[in-house]
This record gives sequence, C-alpha cells and structure tokens, in this order.
Amino acid sequence: MSRARLLAFPAALALAALPAQAQFNLNLNRLLDAGKNLKQATNEVGEAEEVQIGAEMTAKLLGAAPLVPNDALQRYVNDVGRWLALQTERPDLPWRFGVIDTADVNAFATPGGHILVTRGLVARMRSEAELAGVLAHEIVHVLKKHHLKALQKTAQLELANTVAGSYASGNAGALQRREKLLSAGSELFARGLDKDDELEADRLGVVIAARAGYDAYGLPSVLQTLQAMNPADSSLALMFKTHPAPAERLTALESMQPVMDATAGRPQLAARFNGALGR
Amino acid sequence: MRAAFLAALLLPALGLAEPATVARAVDLKKDPASDAATLAPLAEGTKVEALERRGGWTRVKAAPGDGWVRMLALRYAGAGEAKQGDLGIVQAVNVARTGTSGTQVATGVRGLDGAQLANAQPNPAQLRKMDGYGVDKPAAASFAAAGNLEAVPVDYPKAGP
Repeated sequence: MSRARLLAFPAALALAALPAQAQFNLNLNRLLDAGKNLKQATNEVGEAEEVQIGAEMTAKLLGAAPLVPNDALQRYVNDVGRWLALQTERPDLPWRFGVIDTADVNAFATPGGHILVTRGLVARMRSEAELAGVLAHEIVHVLKKHHLKALQKTAQLELANTVAGSYASGNAGALQRREKLLSAGSELFARGLDKDDELEADRLGVVIAARAGYDAYGLPSVLQTLQAMNPADSSLALMFKTHPAPAERLTALESMQPVMDATAGRPQLAARFNGALGR
Repeated sequence: MRAAFLAALLLPALGLAEPATVARAVDLKKDPASDAATLAPLAEGTKVEALERRGGWTRVKAAPGDGWVRMLALRYAGAGEAKQGDLGIVQAVNVARTGTSGTQVATGVRGLDGAQLANAQPNPAQLRKMDGYGVDKPAAASFAAAGNLEAVPVDYPKAGP
C-alpha cells in the first residue's frame, strides 16, 4: 500500500461520516481513493466521472457569472465549438460551450467538455476564426485532462498535509479537510494550470483550428489584442495571473508558424461572427 | 469627446496605424510571403506602425518604407514597452472594440477574481440551461458547410515545444 493511499484512506472514512455530503466531495474522494499514484489515478477516472466532476465545477463557475441571456449567441458558440471538437480524438464527449455575463477577459474549461468564455473576451474578438482559436485552446485542456490531473495533484497534497495534522485536532481537523476538498476545484481556477499546459493548449489549439478549416492565426490575433491592452486593466487581472504573458505565448507559437501559414486565405468569418454578436 | 470616440471607433476600419515594436530582428518584406523580396532588415526594438493583418503577416509603416513583417514578431503598446504617450491611443482602440460589440462593459462592476470563483454557490439551473444548447454532429457539419469551412487533416506537433 503506497503512502498516498495510506494517507487518503482515513480521510475517506472521515468524509463518509459527515452528513449531507456534496456530490463533489464524493467524487473527489473516490478519485483519491482509487489512485495509488497520480498517473494511475488519472487513468482510472472513467469518462462518466470526468464529465460529472466537470459539470459540478461548471455549475460553480455559472454561480459566479451566469450565461449571457441570448439564445442565438449561445447556440452560435456551440456550433463553432462542436465543429472544432469533431476534429479531435474525443468527438463524442458531451461538449457544451457558453458565454458568461462578465466584463472580465477570460475563458475556462472543465473536465469532460464544458467550456465557458467571458463576454469581455468575446467583445474584443473580431472574427469567428478568433473565437475558434480561443475555443480550440480550451478544448485542448479537456482533451489532455489538464484540470483533472491538477485537481488530483492538489487534493492529494492537501489531504496529505491536513490528515497528518488532524490526529491532534480531532473534529476540527475533519471539518478542515472537508472544506479543503470542497474548495480544491475552484482554487484551481484562481491559481491556474502549469505554464507548460497553457503553451501546449496554444500549440495544439492552433492545429485543431487548422483541421476545422479556419485561418489558424485566430488565436495569435487574440493574444496580440490582449498583449496590446493595458496590463493594469482590472478585467485582465485573473487571466494574467493564471496564464503566461501574451508576449511569451506569441513567441512560443513561432514553432507552429508552418501549420498556421498552410491555412492562409481560409475563412475568418468576421461577418458571421459580428452577426451573432448583433454588431 | 464624442467626436474623439467616433474617430477611435473608425481607426481599425480605416487601417490607421497602431504603434508597435519589432520583438526580434525581422525582414521587412515587399509582399506577405516568406519568398517575397526583402525591402530592409529591421533590428529588434524597431518602432513601426501596424496597418493591417493578412494571415501570418502584418503590413507596417517603417522608416525604410511600407512593407510586411511576421505578425508574431510584433508587440503592441500596453505591455510597458511603449512610451507613455502611446498608451492612450491603444486604449482608445480597445474601448472602441468593446463599444462596437453592443455589449457595453459595465463600469464599477468588479471582474471575476479568485475569491469570487471560490465563494460562488453552484447554479444547477444555469448548468441545465447550458446543457440545453448542445449541438449534434450533423448540425455542426451543416454550420461548417454554411461558412465554407472544410475539414483538413493536420498532425499534432511532436511532443515538446
């Protein structure tokens, strides 16, 4: 029995004893209990469970900012997003896309295929190719299970720390553990993924946009728009905190220039995009 | 004030310049293509005016004349690279881009910060609403066809940057 499992097991018992468990807790707990180590745990999470965890994280994001009340716009981003997702190795996930009602400039992916982009970011785009670039970046986070892996890592570390400390503090320790588990998902969005995950999402996102037939310079165009904004703008605070600087991401995308150049002259669909936004 | 706002609104459409800096040494090309004639080499840090983008190329006004440079090599004001005076212009353009969306950015409303995300209560009704917007494969394919989007096989790059 590995050290990780030894540490996770008492936590599982403590959690099971608490009334009114949130489903989110149970899922996290099962994840942890199933994993002897990070790699194995990731492999053992079934697709249904991945989707369930992601749906709960999405419900929480939607609690922070609801969908923009515009059916045509929401359907449009689902058209673009699903077409992109069909070009990937996971075309049959229950992919869902949405625009949330906040001036903040950001986008979020949760495990299993729920993807949200903010009104503030969409408002700064100029074409469907730019929207496709951003959605494709988020789709890669889902394909590569970046959040799922980070979530498991975080929860395991926190459990290891708090379980060790809880033997002295009894019930207080159990409560503390439960709170830590509950917040693990949302803390992830506040803290961000590893830089390598973000740069990978940029590189592979460009490929997915190219496969879908778009001018694949959409993503770097958006990055250039962000790079041109005043970094002190508060609507950028969370995104800049959780992502590498746009200038660094642009430089990193130079390796993808041949792929993007091969899409020269392909549709950008600015008119269809502006129409969907009511511009 | 209103006239200034309208002028800013028209900037991108008219192709008026946006101040930019060349982030690395690049060639100023006569046309937007790698095999086009080189007009002049531009050293890292050269100031240019960006005019329009076509694919991976941006048309710029530079000291040696008008030409095309790799779009990925350009950095715009706002990231602390430009002079203080340049910031105002870029901000005006960004305000304009927001303004044309018809979805005015509300002032005085705080953006999504980490604490807000952490403290949010789940909204299952909104999740159900989002799930209701799902698009099936045939619908996605007709949407693509309507935009003349054709699926093309493209390989992922080998692992690593």
